[in-house]
Amino acid sequence: MNSLATPGSGPGVSTVATLRPAGYPPAERGRVRRLVPETGLQAAIWALVGACVLAPVVPLVYASVQSQPLYAPGRTFTLAAYRQLFTDPAFRTAALNTLEFAAMTTACSLVLGAGFAVLCSRTDVPGRRVYSRLFIAPILLPPLGLILGWNALYGPGGYAHDFVTATLHLPLNLTSVPGMAVLGAAVAVPVVFLICQAALAGTDAALENSARSVGASPLRVLGRVTVPMLRPALLNAGLLVFTLSIESLGIPLVLGSPQGHDFIASYLYNTWSSGFTPDPPVVSAGATVLLAAACLLLVLRGRLLGTQARFVSNGGRGTTAAGGLHLGTLPRWVLGTLFGLYLAATTFAPIAALALSSVVTELTPLIAPWHLFTLGNWQTIGQGTFAHSIVNTVEIALAGAVVTAAVVALATAVAHRSGFRLRRSLPFLMLFPRSIPGIIIGIGFFWTFLLVNPPGSALRSSIWGIMLALSVRSLTIAYFVMSAAFATVSESLDDAARSGGASWWTAMTRITLPILRPALLVSFVLLFISILNDYDPALFLVTPGHEIMGVSMLQALQGGTTGPVAAMAMVQVAITIAAITVAGRLFTTRIRGNRHA
Amino acid sequence: MPDITVAGLSKAFGQERALNDISFTVHDKEFLTLLGPSGCGKTTTLMSIAGFQRPDEGTITCGDRVFFDQASKVDLTAQDRNLGIVFQSYAIWPHLTVFGNVAFPLRIRKVTKDSLRRRVLETLELVEMAGYAGRYPHELSGGQQQRVALARALVYAPAVLLLDEPFSNLDAKLRERARDWLKELQHTLGLTTVFVTHDQDEALSMSDRIVVMNAGRILREGTPEEVYRQPRVRFVAEFLGRCNFLTGAVGTGPDGDAVLTTAEFSEGITVHGRHDGPSATIAVRPEDIEISSGIQLDAPGTGTEASVLHASYLGDHYHYRVAVGAMQLSVHSQRPLAPGPVRLRIPPGVATFVD
Repeated sequence: MNSLATPGSGPGVSTVATLRPAGYPPAERGRVRRLVPETGLQAAIWALVGACVLAPVVPLVYASVQSQPLYAPGRTFTLAAYRQLFTDPAFRTAALNTLEFAAMTTACSLVLGAGFAVLCSRTDVPGRRVYSRLFIAPILLPPLGLILGWNALYGPGGYAHDFVTATLHLPLNLTSVPGMAVLGAAVAVPVVFLICQAALAGTDAALENSARSVGASPLRVLGRVTVPMLRPALLNAGLLVFTLSIESLGIPLVLGSPQGHDFIASYLYNTWSSGFTPDPPVVSAGATVLLAAACLLLVLRGRLLGTQARFVSNGGRGTTAAGGLHLGTLPRWVLGTLFGLYLAATTFAPIAALALSSVVTELTPLIAPWHLFTLGNWQTIGQGTFAHSIVNTVEIALAGAVVTAAVVALATAVAHRSGFRLRRSLPFLMLFPRSIPGIIIGIGFFWTFLLVNPPGSALRSSIWGIMLALSVRSLTIAYFVMSAAFATVSESLDDAARSGGASWWTAMTRITLPILRPALLVSFVLLFISILNDYDPALFLVTPGHEIMGVSMLQALQGGTTGPVAAMAMVQVAITIAAITVAGRLFTTRIRGNRHA
Repeated sequence: MPDITVAGLSKAFGQERALNDISFTVHDKEFLTLLGPSGCGKTTTLMSIAGFQRPDEGTITCGDRVFFDQASKVDLTAQDRNLGIVFQSYAIWPHLTVFGNVAFPLRIRKVTKDSLRRRVLETLELVEMAGYAGRYPHELSGGQQQRVALARALVYAPAVLLLDEPFSNLDAKLRERARDWLKELQHTLGLTTVFVTHDQDEALSMSDRIVVMNAGRILREGTPEEVYRQPRVRFVAEFLGRCNFLTGAVGTGPDGDAVLTTAEFSEGITVHGRHDGPSATIAVRPEDIEISSGIQLDAPGTGTEASVLHASYLGDHYHYRVAVGAMQLSVHSQRPLAPGPVRLRIPPGVATFVD
């Protein structure tokens, strides 16, 4: 070989003589590497993600064109299920209700979310930094807890119902479609807020400043420059909220359904669980229709926005318009107060009502709560199915978050940092579950577990089937976090490892992913919260003894139990807040201890 | 160290021809520079050698090992090529200490703990970073990071060292020091090196041989003196420093040398070598033109009349824009001259023909 070392003079070369080539092998030549070639590993990751994402979809469509449920013998191909679906007046009503709900939810959340985002990032509303964080809260809180809190506060016979309708003269009927849309909008505002805020942070404030410099008044700039520039973001947010709204299951199940106001998802769930035949093909047909609508919206969104999700870089640039828009003392404080009242009414008061109803026998405006104080609800959930489901949920959320975070991290590495042939399909595969209604994942995996056995029946008769379904549903969140994180790490870092002799696997696991530790942590925590609080798919997969919190809560609610359910919801809220707090702590110490210049 | 031979390399990005029939050889212990403006294909060439770009055609061999051969479908992965690279961004891993960064290639190679430690510290001492083994990259200056990157590329005694504009992130003073230091290290260790830069000063001061590239092609190859003195191609002459171009009729002088005559230089400019064809263009460096105050030297035959249009002081010399007839020339001189009439003389042999 070569002679690296020639003894000589000069700076720092006194040790040259010892720097002889040590006869190192040129690169990794381990047995593992020869047995599992790089491409094989990447293909395995790709196949795993593909199988998990498509598993619920394919059997569902198949089940919808069969004459009998998939477990029944003598099935034939037929479109009867679709005919039955479209001729059922109850389905038509449910579909109209769903559209009305989705349209109202979208409109309200767009106005509020965009308004909050513009006011918080472009004006001097007092407390706008704190508000910016609090507006996001409903997205992290357990959805079922929020619904139950709203019901306890504003529902028929709710604690504040009379105050709102009689004293404030607001015609709020939470069990009607518009009433449910008010709650839907409150839950969707964070989505709009986040998208608009990112768009505002990404647009150069110089555009607005230049309008000011040519003589436009601040208010005019807001109306003529800032808001029009938000149009793509509003379109994106609107389509996303609409897609999320048409699959709503919890809201109608708790509020509308008992009063006969069904949505498509609740109609399908009720038909599934209480029809003449168990699991009829008509439910699969309905779910397929819902899936088609969701896919159509996804394609539409892709067309309108360009297929590549663009990540806005918001570092270094002067982000805020110089000084922002000065509102004047009175409007400032009026708006600041209104923000506070909005947050109190939509988020804090419902959670407080939930907490209160977990420690009383009955929450009613007629009797002071301290006369009805009880710890019975908490004792009830400390045992039996409730306690069991809490343990199950935490297990699922922990294991699901760990596995999903790892798989998504590797899949993102294949998608963005490999030469694998099919890598470009991975981002689509990982974005897809966000657009699949939860009920479809539930029904789809139900059929998949039935058709693919093993491991189908083993998964079905344990909590791990539910874990798989909930993990698939949540994996898009992790992909969002990881793909943005990968974009911040220069590819030359892994190239340096490759040229140093590392295989793709070694470069990823020893260099790139360790650098991305903070992002992995964020992705884990978000997955944990998401899986912890999710329940839609589990409604179709649950078997006795393997309940999770959301499912046992809904089942108890249908049996008329409210107090213990409120206590369960508070447990969800508490775990969620604890997870965010712990992660926040870990995150800041890590950043401080390991700040990469 | 083995030679690296690149032959017939071509690559297209869509319609754009990024590389067009690139061939050169880097000899043992040689410091070869790929020089050219951004987008000329120099980095693409380097990354093809490293294994991060896949050419469309051609071969790359290192000694008797074939790295890439389109004809026989050989494409060794980057980790199997055993090359050391210093990236433009240094690509120091932020989550590892200096020691961890340099040790990584040895850990991959399953080097035993003791010899790993010894080897890493030796290499760090070589780049004068032994005192910084426990530091994290963000605690280092740009120049120190560069040394760590170099140590990491050298620690496993790679066959060839590849450098991708390693000085572009350093300030001017530091850059000059780093240049001398790296050249000395390369020379002492006898490292076969391929260096990519767009900076002519770096190329001229460090290289044994320079390959000048533009628009995916090699325009000139030779030692720094050859490339600078006989650029042969107009682009090369312009890219390596300032240059004046004169076009005129070619004749033959009394001692067989070519003589170029233009309207401005009617007495002719003697150019070593021959040129076929009736007219040609020559390149003359501004520092090769003799300039003197026209008032004292008015004897005929001692130069061409000209006048200084503009003078700028650059510290170690003056730069003059001079009008000769209808054309303007750049002239460098140590002497201060007032704007006004001067005389110019182009000595025999300083000019060369260019295409």
